Amino acid sequence: MSAIREGSSQWVPSYCYNCVAGPDLMTVKVEDGIATQIRPNFEAEGVHPAQGRVCVKAFGLIQKTYNPHRIRTPMRRTNPCKGRDEDPGFVPISWDEALDEIAGRLKAIRARGLRNEQGYPRVAATFGHGGTPQSYMGTLPAFLSAWGPMDFSFGSGQGVKCVHAEHVYGEYWHRAFTVCADTVNTRYIVSFGANTEASGGACAVYRHAQARMRGIKRVQVEPHLSVTAAASAEWVPIKPKTDPAFMFAMIHVLVFEHPRESLDVAFLRDRTASPYLVGPNGYYLREPESRKPLVWDSRTGRAVAHDTPDAVPALEGEVVVPSAVEVGPDDTLIEHRDVPADTAFTVMAKTMEPYTPEWAAGECDLPAETIRRVANEYLENACVGETIEVEGQVLPYRPVAVTLGKTVNNGWGAYHCVWSRTVLATLVGALEVPGGTLGTTIRLNRPHENRLLSVKPGEDGFMAARLNATDREHWENPADPEHWDERPSGRNAHKTLVPIVGNSAWSQALGPTHLAWMFLRKAPENWPKPIYPDLWFVYRTNPAISFWDTGQITEIMSRMPFVVAFAYTRDETNHMADILLPDATDLESMQLIPVGGTKYVEQHWDYQGVALRCPAVAPQGEARDMTWIAGELARRTGLAEDYYQAINRGASVVPLKGEGYDFTLDPAREHDVEEIWDAACRAATAEFSRGKEVRGLDWFREHGFYLVPFKRADWYLYPTMLEKGLRFELPYQERLKRVGKELEARMHEAGYHWWDEQLKDYEAIPTWHDFPGLWIRQLEKSGGRADDYPLWAITTKSMQYTTGNNVAIQLMDEVGSNVRGTGRVIINTRTAERYGIAQGDRVEVRSMTGATVGRAELMQGVRPDTVVIPAQFGQWATPYAKDREYPSLNRLSPLSLDLTDSSGSGADVVRVAVRRLGGAS
Amino acid sequence: MTRYAMVADLRKCVGCQTCTAACKVSNATFPGVQWRKVLDMEVGEYPDVQRVFVPTGCQHCDEPACVEVCPSTASQKRDDGIVTIDYDMCIGCGYCTLACPYDARSIVREATWAYAEGPTEVEKARFDPRMLGVAQKCTFCVDVIDTGVAQGLTPGVHPDATPACVNSCIAGALAFGDLDDPGSNVAHLLRENRHFRMNEDAGTGPGFYYLWDGEQSEQEEVTP
Amino acid sequence: MSTGAAGYTPHPRLQSSWDLRAASNFIGGGVGTGLVLTATVVAAFGGLWMPGLLLGLACVAFGLSMVFLELGRPWRAVNVFFHPRTSWMTREGVLSLPLFAAGAGAVAVAWFYGTVAAAPLLALAGLCAAGFLYCQAHILHRARGIPAWSESTLRWVMVATGLTEGVGVFLAITAFAQSAPRALALEVALAVLLAARAGLWLGYARRLRARGAPTRSMRAIDALGARFLWFGHALPAVLLVAGWLVWPFAVELVTAAGLVAAAAGWYAKLMIITRAAASRGFAIPQTPTRGRSASRAGARPGWGGGAS
Repeated sequence: MSAIREGSSQWVPSYCYNCVAGPDLMTVKVEDGIATQIRPNFEAEGVHPAQGRVCVKAFGLIQKTYNPHRIRTPMRRTNPCKGRDEDPGFVPISWDEALDEIAGRLKAIRARGLRNEQGYPRVAATFGHGGTPQSYMGTLPAFLSAWGPMDFSFGSGQGVKCVHAEHVYGEYWHRAFTVCADTVNTRYIVSFGANTEASGGACAVYRHAQARMRGIKRVQVEPHLSVTAAASAEWVPIKPKTDPAFMFAMIHVLVFEHPRESLDVAFLRDRTASPYLVGPNGYYLREPESRKPLVWDSRTGRAVAHDTPDAVPALEGEVVVPSAVEVGPDDTLIEHRDVPADTAFTVMAKTMEPYTPEWAAGECDLPAETIRRVANEYLENACVGETIEVEGQVLPYRPVAVTLGKTVNNGWGAYHCVWSRTVLATLVGALEVPGGTLGTTIRLNRPHENRLLSVKPGEDGFMAARLNATDREHWENPADPEHWDERPSGRNAHKTLVPIVGNSAWSQALGPTHLAWMFLRKAPENWPKPIYPDLWFVYRTNPAISFWDTGQITEIMSRMPFVVAFAYTRDETNHMADILLPDATDLESMQLIPVGGTKYVEQHWDYQGVALRCPAVAPQGEARDMTWIAGELARRTGLAEDYYQAINRGASVVPLKGEGYDFTLDPAREHDVEEIWDAACRAATAEFSRGKEVRGLDWFREHGFYLVPFKRADWYLYPTMLEKGLRFELPYQERLKRVGKELEARMHEAGYHWWDEQLKDYEAIPTWHDFPGLWIRQLEKSGGRADDYPLWAITTKSMQYTTGNNVAIQLMDEVGSNVRGTGRVIINTRTAERYGIAQGDRVEVRSMTGATVGRAELMQGVRPDTVVIPAQFGQWATPYAKDREYPSLNRLSPLSLDLTDSSGSGADVVRVAVRRLGGAS
Repeated sequence: MTRYAMVADLRKCVGCQTCTAACKVSNATFPGVQWRKVLDMEVGEYPDVQRVFVPTGCQHCDEPACVEVCPSTASQKRDDGIVTIDYDMCIGCGYCTLACPYDARSIVREATWAYAEGPTEVEKARFDPRMLGVAQKCTFCVDVIDTGVAQGLTPGVHPDATPACVNSCIAGALAFGDLDDPGSNVAHLLRENRHFRMNEDAGTGPGFYYLWDGEQSEQEEVTP
Repeated sequence: MSTGAAGYTPHPRLQSSWDLRAASNFIGGGVGTGLVLTATVVAAFGGLWMPGLLLGLACVAFGLSMVFLELGRPWRAVNVFFHPRTSWMTREGVLSLPLFAAGAGAVAVAWFYGTVAAAPLLALAGLCAAGFLYCQAHILHRARGIPAWSESTLRWVMVATGLTEGVGVFLAITAFAQSAPRALALEVALAVLLAARAGLWLGYARRLRARGAPTRSMRAIDALGARFLWFGHALPAVLLVAGWLVWPFAVELVTAAGLVAAAAGWYAKLMIITRAAASRGFAIPQTPTRGRSASRAGARPGWGGGAS
């Protein structure tokens, strides 16, 4: 039929991990050396949660490979001036020239010292979305490890655009870097904006479709009728940023409008800190000698340590404790005699008492009866007391969950939301049990592959947590080098400002990543303004598009002294680059990655193992495999030995040496791409099969993946908590309260008063604040009038585009356009009529920060006071994308400390004005 | 007899366009041509709104309007229900595109490419000049079905005998099979679920069924 | 379409397969067959028929050649004859052959042997012309993807306008042939046809609205209808009557009436083919349940009227 000859084709196994919902398995058809088709990997049916299928984005990878705008050779900038309006003047150079130049600079940096005079690393690196670039960057992590300290804090949207509060609090409370419902077992989900059907990936879409067949009811609470709301049983159009009110009211209903026995009293009493007694200063009452938190033993009528065997702690009530201490900030001891105390549960109940559905109705702009009904349905479906057998183990069965989406679980109010939904889970015993609210993976604790193993007993009967130091001795103040414990790792001050984010390899990228950018331009009062890094690596990311106030970010970025961008096509970020390196893309390069077990977004497998991304075709032009590039950088910088040691230690997928096997690479000589991955294949299969099987690269080229069973019971943290006798640190956030007070003291001692609003987040039981009002006040503070910006603007994800790095792909544009609102401004039909806007008219959406223009999509499924701008567009340099003229919310959102919460996150919501510019043609 | 048909479960479809893209990649259609596509439909008025995603394409009708009007007999209906187009016979008059009540057909007169710069390597390799100036539409991946059946595979069950859209659907919303076989997947689905066909009043007897609910008795057991 | 600025929607959309060239077929075919028919009738009454017949054949040929230009594969045009069993387009093509043969034959015979000798061929040409016009009307009728075309009363509008246009143009060219007597009968025929066409149009528009049609189509039909009725019927009627009453300018007025009546028909067909031709769009009778939820009645986006 076509020019391709029959008989010269094969299907090559691969994976797609372009977005965090992956990895998913697929196959690539290669005919006469040309990649022509993508298909699921049907060999994975029955083992992959979506039966070996991949989502729409993967089908765009053919066009991605053959995109005529690809950078085909290394390039060097010839125009020394950088800026949006400066033509970089890129000229082609050879790989030798490019690598020698980069290595030369790196060696010079090493000679001067890996850190600058402020203590910050001289080299910075930014990678995109949620760790997914790691699955395409080959052995680059080994090179980064060999290098030493690096600043990863210049974000490309992390914090602002990810589920930030969920990350940090989720992992803290139940080893849940991200959270999902146990979809295969759940019966009832209240979803506050979680856009599962847009961004949950193939696994979530498949499972939720199956769940609908089983009769699940999902209530989608969000300002517009997203694709997820479309696939839900009910849509509740809540006013933006009022979700905490809804959830507080749900807690109120469960606690005050139902008999106590209808809740999971046993779970609350034994698996949470609900019975812990709270003293007059808001800290736990503790045994004076042991300092263990006290509970009231209802058997003996006395206050005893929480871990007293055979004690039956009272869940609620007010008691009087003869002798106890509170431990306040900086270890201050407050002694008490005959002190009245409430249990933590009672404190929570009292706090939630005013938050009735009638009250919430006013805040949320919803009927009280809807809020009450949803709370009642949640309880009715919770099956308190029921059990289920999982692989021979009898576990609680609680098929209800509350899930949160972006703009709910990040920014102001996010702490309140994540707290509420986790507390709602505990009230019915649905935390980390079949059917309920589950964590998926961890990133701030280790080991990443099995979150259960990260659970270690800590203080007060909870899991050990590694918060950043807030005591006088160890708190990191960039302005005070004398007292550094270790040198600051990043310019976003995550160790200083965000104790809960810890200091693991991922913490930097999770800290307030927009602060790194902001501080480069203007540091807050008394804070030493960071010096730019000497060299900045950029890979699979485009902060100039995917951040807030992209105009400002672009300007700040233009001052980066030397930028090395791994470049697929020209884009808005590599517009500021000094060197462009064309990396071999998805279908052209090789890598082995872990798959299975449990992971975000809804990747709970019954198997775990590894999968190979096999190169289907030769790279276009002079593009090279990242593993080759990493090896060259290591060699030319004199770090080859350290680089191979890092690979041997497991920088890329698994350690190459283990019990009964040794596939380590000789650090003294060079190894090519296939050698490295062959060793990784062998080590991984030896590891997973516990030495029974060793499979090399050739086997993987044929089969694509290697899996061993993963216990279903290991999806749930509850058995581990039970086994270790630990409680979930809920509802009362005593530790965080104390940490907050310490942080406040440290900040004020150092003369920093600009984080004071954020410090208010450190409430032991969160209370309602007028969150929508914060946006109005910020607007007014910037000199605007609220009436001039009468509408809310939010964004939403699109499966065709989100995190696919694929705005330059025509196929995605074409199929994405079938989804209403893509590339447009979604506006309520009545509101549009009032503004004289017809379907397809050009409109301007303006905020105090900027303006964006696009075509209007009139829909019924959106609040009249809200407009929605899907995905992230506004490209001005990326070929193909720049000609689309699609609007973007990122032009409108301010980069603002005022709109940053205590965890360092922000939200994609802004007050805007809309006006018609012209007709549809 | 054999009567191939498609069943789309609207309860499952999420409008992701994976099938749209899979079809395009599998069949190398020109930009703008979508043999399979998913429509995004709103019903109701704020706040009482629903949003439905509807996969569509050629419905391979029992009495196809396109076959009736085709002046050259290029459009034909096989015994197994699949409506085919003989690209070498078609004169490209466009009449069938107007007769089809499902807007399933199109004609590409001039080759167009994804990028203004001209055809990419893969577009050049897969370009079939026979496809210019003639009617085209979903074929139920007839070549794949024929090859698969010849190898003893069952369409709709074995991926190598199944249309690309069905293979790719991540919600499992699409099913394909032989309606005349009471044991087939599609026969089961239609027996066990309430369904409709679109634009039935056009009278062509479409071979594309949409599931919208289970049987009455299943729903009655459900709690709030 | 490739820019993706507006993807596929469930709403009816304007067809993009047939443009001015296809419309020209219906225009040329309509006025052409109308001329041929009028010529054969006039011939039977001994009037001047040859210029009308030749012009009619030329118009039909023009229309068909425009279609030829619109074909995706014009050099396979002969395939158009392969499906007479069901395809009205084949039938139209099939009839065009004896139409031209009989018409050209009639002219040749009459040239050498006189009109009476040519009578059988003239009759055949007239029959083929009538059949050709009938086929054209049914081509649109069987395009079931376009509600504004498949509405069955449009067939009679198409036939009526073909005849009206034929009579109108015939009148105009006859009026110029000074040697010919004034054809009052043709003028009366034009008046009758104008009334019929107006009535059929009103019936068509009413039925379309009652059965339901894409809103886009209805808007276009309504806009067209106003212009069509006033400029295409009232105005030529006035001109005709004025021609009857105002003797000095009778020829000019009657010519104008005929041309305006014809041009209105051409305009109407152009609009029907290119502006009012919205597809059916997509409709669902029920929304799906989504887990534990209720289905509700569906919708037919982009339609108004009875059928939604």
